[in-house]
Amino acid sequence: MSNLIALPIILPLIFGILVAFIPKKRKLSRTLSQVFTIIQLLVVGYVFLHVLQNGPLILETGGWAAPYGIIIVGDLLAITLVLTTNIIAAAAIFYAPQSLSKQQEEFYFYSFFFLLIAGVSGAFMTGDLFNLFVFFEVLLMASYGLIVLGNGKVQLRESIKYVLINLFSSMLFVTTIAFLYSVVGTVNMAQIAVRVQEVEQQGILTTIGIMFFFVFATKAAVFPLYYWLPRPYISPNPVVSALFGALLTKVGIYSILRTFTLMFNQDVQLTHTLFIYLAAFTMLFGVIGAMSTNNIKLVVAYNIIPAVGFMLMGIGIFTETSISGTIYYLVHDMIIKAALFLLVGIIAYVAGTSDLRKMGGLIHHYPVLGWFFFVASLVLAGIPPFSGFIGKLLLLQGGLAQDEIMIVIVALLSSLLILFSMIRIFIRGFWGEKTENPHPERKPAASKMVWPAGVLLAMSITLGIGAEWFYPTISNISEYIMDPQIYIDSVLKE
Amino acid sequence: MEILMAILAGILFTTGIYNLLQKQLLRIIIGTGLISHGAHLFILTMGELKRGAPPILTEGVETYTDPLPQALILTSIVISFGVTSLLLVLAYRAAQVNGTDNMEQMRGNDYE
Amino acid sequence: MIWAVLLPFIMAMFIPFVDKWRERIHTGFFVTIIPILIFIYFARFLGTGFEPLTRSYSWIPSLDINMVFHLDGLSLLFVLLISGIGALVAFYSIYYLDKSEQLGHFYVYFLLFMGSMLGVVLSDNVFVLYSFWEFTSLSSFLLIGFWNFKKESRYGALKSMLITVFGGLSLLGALVFMTVLTDTTSIQEMISQKQLILNSEYFPLILALLLLGAFTKSAQFPFHIWLPDAMEAPTPVSAYLHSATMVKAGIYLVARYSPMLSSSDWFFIIVSSVGIVTLCWGSYMAVRQVDLKGILAFSTISQLGMIMAMLGFGTKVAVFAAVFHILNHATFKGSLFMVAGIVDHETGTRDIRKLGGLMTYLPITATLAIFGTFSMAGVPLPFLNGFYSKELFFDASLHLEDIANAGFIGVLKTALPYLAVFGSIFTFVYSMYFFFGTFRGKANLSELPKKPHEAPVGMLVSPIILVLGVILIGLFPGMVNEPFIAHAASAVKGLAVSKEVYFWHGFLYPPLIMSITVLVFGTVLYLSRKQWAPVYRAIPGVLSMNKVYDGLVDRLETYSSRVTKAYMNGSIGRYVRLVLAAILIVTFAFMALTGGFTVDLSNVAPLSLPEIFVAITMVIAAVSTILTNNRITAILILGVVGYGLSMLFVLFRAPDLALTQLIVETVTVALFLLVFYHLPKLRKKEEAASTRFLNLVISIGFGAMMTMVAISAHSSKFFESISSYFLENSYKLGGGDNVVNVILVDFRGLDTLFEIVVLGIAAMAIYGLIKLPGKKEDQ
Repeated sequence: MSNLIALPIILPLIFGILVAFIPKKRKLSRTLSQVFTIIQLLVVGYVFLHVLQNGPLILETGGWAAPYGIIIVGDLLAITLVLTTNIIAAAAIFYAPQSLSKQQEEFYFYSFFFLLIAGVSGAFMTGDLFNLFVFFEVLLMASYGLIVLGNGKVQLRESIKYVLINLFSSMLFVTTIAFLYSVVGTVNMAQIAVRVQEVEQQGILTTIGIMFFFVFATKAAVFPLYYWLPRPYISPNPVVSALFGALLTKVGIYSILRTFTLMFNQDVQLTHTLFIYLAAFTMLFGVIGAMSTNNIKLVVAYNIIPAVGFMLMGIGIFTETSISGTIYYLVHDMIIKAALFLLVGIIAYVAGTSDLRKMGGLIHHYPVLGWFFFVASLVLAGIPPFSGFIGKLLLLQGGLAQDEIMIVIVALLSSLLILFSMIRIFIRGFWGEKTENPHPERKPAASKMVWPAGVLLAMSITLGIGAEWFYPTISNISEYIMDPQIYIDSVLKE
Repeated sequence: MEILMAILAGILFTTGIYNLLQKQLLRIIIGTGLISHGAHLFILTMGELKRGAPPILTEGVETYTDPLPQALILTSIVISFGVTSLLLVLAYRAAQVNGTDNMEQMRGNDYE
Repeated sequence: MIWAVLLPFIMAMFIPFVDKWRERIHTGFFVTIIPILIFIYFARFLGTGFEPLTRSYSWIPSLDINMVFHLDGLSLLFVLLISGIGALVAFYSIYYLDKSEQLGHFYVYFLLFMGSMLGVVLSDNVFVLYSFWEFTSLSSFLLIGFWNFKKESRYGALKSMLITVFGGLSLLGALVFMTVLTDTTSIQEMISQKQLILNSEYFPLILALLLLGAFTKSAQFPFHIWLPDAMEAPTPVSAYLHSATMVKAGIYLVARYSPMLSSSDWFFIIVSSVGIVTLCWGSYMAVRQVDLKGILAFSTISQLGMIMAMLGFGTKVAVFAAVFHILNHATFKGSLFMVAGIVDHETGTRDIRKLGGLMTYLPITATLAIFGTFSMAGVPLPFLNGFYSKELFFDASLHLEDIANAGFIGVLKTALPYLAVFGSIFTFVYSMYFFFGTFRGKANLSELPKKPHEAPVGMLVSPIILVLGVILIGLFPGMVNEPFIAHAASAVKGLAVSKEVYFWHGFLYPPLIMSITVLVFGTVLYLSRKQWAPVYRAIPGVLSMNKVYDGLVDRLETYSSRVTKAYMNGSIGRYVRLVLAAILIVTFAFMALTGGFTVDLSNVAPLSLPEIFVAITMVIAAVSTILTNNRITAILILGVVGYGLSMLFVLFRAPDLALTQLIVETVTVALFLLVFYHLPKLRKKEEAASTRFLNLVISIGFGAMMTMVAISAHSSKFFESISSYFLENSYKLGGGDNVVNVILVDFRGLDTLFEIVVLGIAAMAIYGLIKLPGKKEDQ
């Protein structure tokens, strides 16, 4: 039964390779990709239910037991995130045909897409630190493929910056793994956890831990390492932006969450205090960025950053409540960021520009788009009863219970500013006098593209109003990861 | 010896980063090359150096050098190779399309 | 009870359908039914024998967020106001809004608001309350922006949203704080455990956050500035949200938490002084307005200030008067807004400078206005409800004996009656100004966009009902007193409050003397207003909070833009420098703090000459990559470093690595040469010396950091490596002699599989990069 857990990684891998053979048959690869994505989603859904009912699925790849072989750990946290990833993938794949150019489709968009999913799923589920590096490289390489796709002038320029930063952080990552290996003699995460607990002199481990933090924080776009993020994220096609915005930074946050609950949980006083401060600055500088520009895509890209701050805040506070907040926020943010990137993609498409100053009165031509965007803004800002609120509430409760007043106030303030940065777009872009539709010929495609975003939005709303269906699971996950012994026992089988 | 190698790898990082901070694409990419050499040397050093024969099992040999870092480096070398190749071609295309290989002239603004 | 709250939301969903028949039947008719039903449902509870009741429906029990509705006297008062005024306003809007307007939108927002407002005043669960609270702000935003083709509408909508959501978030902070302290999400339970909150060291913060929420919503000074701009909304909305109900949510909140907070001196000081200042400032500013709705907006601000001040006093009389005035204000102010709407509708303008003498043309409207304005002014006549609550207010300001005289409180207590009279004088002035300016004097028909005539009957029905309320409450205050107001006041005070209200207390009754003072001075000031009007040129210039708001919002964007552009300048060099510097500083700091740096020389391999030689060569080569200005040389030198590395691999007994490195290095160098054949030559480095120095510091620092961590890690080998397992079992279980190979293809086969995938993706990406034509423009 435990082979089941390999499917979320293996299926997209196979699909990605399959569609690579038929790049010129656009219609076929489009349809196949859509079918494959749905299959994948159903399978992952099944695996999720299985894990939910029967507990974690552990797969020893090649039959080599931990800690010697690579272990795939399908615990509830991992599989929840994998499921969310696949939901976003499904929305993206139905949005893609309208959004992509012929050339983008022919030059392996669909392969990159599936391999990105494979990499992300692998990163969520691996129980081996070096293997995490490998999956990082898979997802990064797929993202390089996606970001350059189309060879636009700006795109190429921004891609270089993106590749360089990620290349550097990968090198730092692999070196840091070696440092840790030197100290604890293993790369299996569960065994590292065991051994770290046994060490008395934590100094070097904390230092290595903080280097890991920086590696992941660069990917997650935490202050002060997020500079590279906003512009490269908006240079490719909107569907690619959506995948990036929804998945990539979240892999970084997930890795911080996993490593600092499982392995580097000894010197909490020091590391987690740092996280709280960084979280505060991340939120502030993120929203300042979001308010700074009239480029609607850039506004959404900047809004990735404060969300990362919120999640980091929960990890910094480090209680069961706050960690549930982080996980809730993580799932929420993946979905809503994807929805928002898809929506601003449509807005820029129908307006023919992403410059807010050149828009106005769009609601008269695109009411559905306008209202979707409005609701999405509310969801993002954490207005109840939508999904952002539940996560935020847990984070605030966790923060105040630990007397972390400063971060709570910063979080409240940034919620307001997030709302401001988004509602500006609604007011200036959608409201206003009824003018002639700048591109009436784009209406049919736009009305097809709006529904995938709508589905994601509906999920966000469900995640908020129906919190009772989700919160107990999230709370279980939080309880589970705050007690690393369960993970260790299930992997090492002692 | 490990200390020496750690220093050498550190110097590779230093020179690599110095190159990375330059404006010209070629230098930047050379920088990334140096950094990955440094990283691989670090990994090797983290296994114990020269504590035995190469990890190829032979009758009568009791001690071998640590095989795991070597395996990890091998994976990493291959991956770095892939990334570097991509980066090179990307740099070439970006320089060609943008008409410059000076990164300071590839800053761009918000509305492109 | 949940159906009463949900009914408006459910109806809102059906609006798009009934809106299809708007040509035959105005959508407003369907909407009017809803508040009437709700009013009837809740009116049943009226009566002297009323007992509070609670209904719970579970929603998110695992987070303790449930639909718990608590109906006590205070909630009942508000519920009846919301549904009663709601019905009148909905009916009025049928005649006010033309069928060509976007009626569907309007009524959806309207119903959303109504449902949310009912939710606010009925919820016992703080988070449910907060949810509804934010929804009232949002529906208000949408209603103010209803005519969003107007710039002023958009401005007003944004302003109201920013200020009220700011308050909402601050309220959320307070609520979360209180739930964490008391471990309950129920307001009633919180109040019963109030000591936990009152004695907490964070009490001042909680109080401040809570009051910020209330003050912003109820437009208290200095957050009142959004209310005048909210007048861009259609008049029915102004009458409903921005006068009778939503702006009273802040009042409600303060009243709701009074049993907990009123024992605190800070509560008294803050709430009564903010209230009284708002009263004075609002009434003072109202006289200056030229827009009828502007006058009413400032009047609303001032009246809300008065109610707030009374809640701050917290005495029995004050609380009773506050609750009584909530009701009275809703009646007279609601009718006046409708009057303003009628004037606007029938003449085409609300500019009081163009209006005048309308008594002849709109006699019924004028009559309604007389009652409304005189009640608002607190003219001592037995059929005006405004007088009663105004007199109770004076009475309350004189009877604050129960409050200790410590420090500032003493001063405040002395000043309060004078300020109350001051504010009321201006209230009198603007009331007269509103009425006489519009309906008396000489009509100037040529200035008016339309020829004025009396409004249609349908439009008059609602204000007539409200004015009847003014008169009936005035004539028979006992009618609402025992069955209604007393319950509400008891809920606020936390103990039974009842108060007999009379018209006549004798000549020497101090509040009456105050009222007469107001009457005399008010009349004098009204008649002489042209003489003292220049005062306005001086004072608001200094105190204009609008300038602060505009400045803040403008700066928010310009400063954000400046800050962000300062570092997000698109320069990869800059980004890398910042990233590296951050990693460097924090890692060094952590190493120092944790004593992470250790050197242990006991377990190192001995130095030997070949390695040293190779190392030195590599260092020289690496440094020369920086120094050379020839691209071919630079690439070849990089090759030297790579080959040096493979030499080291050989020396350190890693034959597989050496081979791989050799091949990869060769291919890479070839690729380098191939690609850079097409690129410009290396140039002299033209950076400033400071940049070069900074680069040097960062790169040396980073290299040193890596070396130090490496040495420490190597000196801290606490455990035996898992490699021994690979060495032991490589042949036995893996079937291979070359342990590295067995690890790669067997023990860690997954890594290798995906390593190949990485190469594959790279190949596809490179293919696309080369094949696809470059585009100067992005899609």
